[in-house]
Amino acid sequence: MSSIDDVRSYYTRRSFLSTALGIAAAGSASLLLSDDIAAGNKPQQLKLRTYNGSTDPYPIPWLDKNGNHNQPAGPQLEPSHIYHFKGRVARCADFVGMGTDNRGNRIAFGTPTTDYGFMQGEYFAGRTPQTGAFTHI
Amino acid sequence: MVPVPKGGLIISPDGLTATLEMKNVAVVDQPKWPALDAVGMPAIMSFRMIWKATDEKIIYDDPQKQFRVEGYRAAAQIEAQVKVPSIGFSWKSDPLSASQANFAIIGDEVNGRYYNPMK
Repeated sequence: MSSIDDVRSYYTRRSFLSTALGIAAAGSASLLLSDDIAAGNKPQQLKLRTYNGSTDPYPIPWLDKNGNHNQPAGPQLEPSHIYHFKGRVARCADFVGMGTDNRGNRIAFGTPTTDYGFMQGEYFAGRTPQTGAFTHI
Repeated sequence: MVPVPKGGLIISPDGLTATLEMKNVAVVDQPKWPALDAVGMPAIMSFRMIWKATDEKIIYDDPQKQFRVEGYRAAAQIEAQVKVPSIGFSWKSDPLSASQANFAIIGDEVNGRYYNPMK
């Protein structure tokens, strides 16, 4: 395990470009995991579950069966992160921008894979139509 | 992917403008992702993002992958704040107007069981 100093020096070397990407990845992975898995070290408990899976959105199967949408937004590419979906979508990628950290350092953000989006509408899960709004950040 | 809380997503009646705003979203800061040894740290993110449709229409239709999108290319901007408490780090973007996405779309999509090939 790194010391705090190690972590800080590690941070100063990094680029916020990859930070944004990392945040996006983590955010993506969290929702489509079952509660049991997302809970990490908690012991498994018996729960009433829908026989055919939960009511969580189903990921795009040909992109990543584990639910991590490993594809930035682009022309002719699937914008939704949810399979069996109909509704409103928006995606964007390849951001250009700047910001300032708490030490006053100016740090740019944005790469082709810095992408965001939302899906709002109907999706099919747990053998029945569901509605909701979700974002990928 | 995370659920949007009620009121976090506002879409104009004509569907051409959308504002997405979320505060204090729990995320993981993982600067070295996707490296196998990437260390993740709990972080908090707040942001506001706006999509505005342009006049350029789009239709993406892929029968093999079973999705169709009909909408518009868009202009997208974001302002955001990120905090990583464990290392005492925070970052705040410049105002929304100072950012831009080189690619953005907004529209309607069907996929999977809702998809029917165009005739």
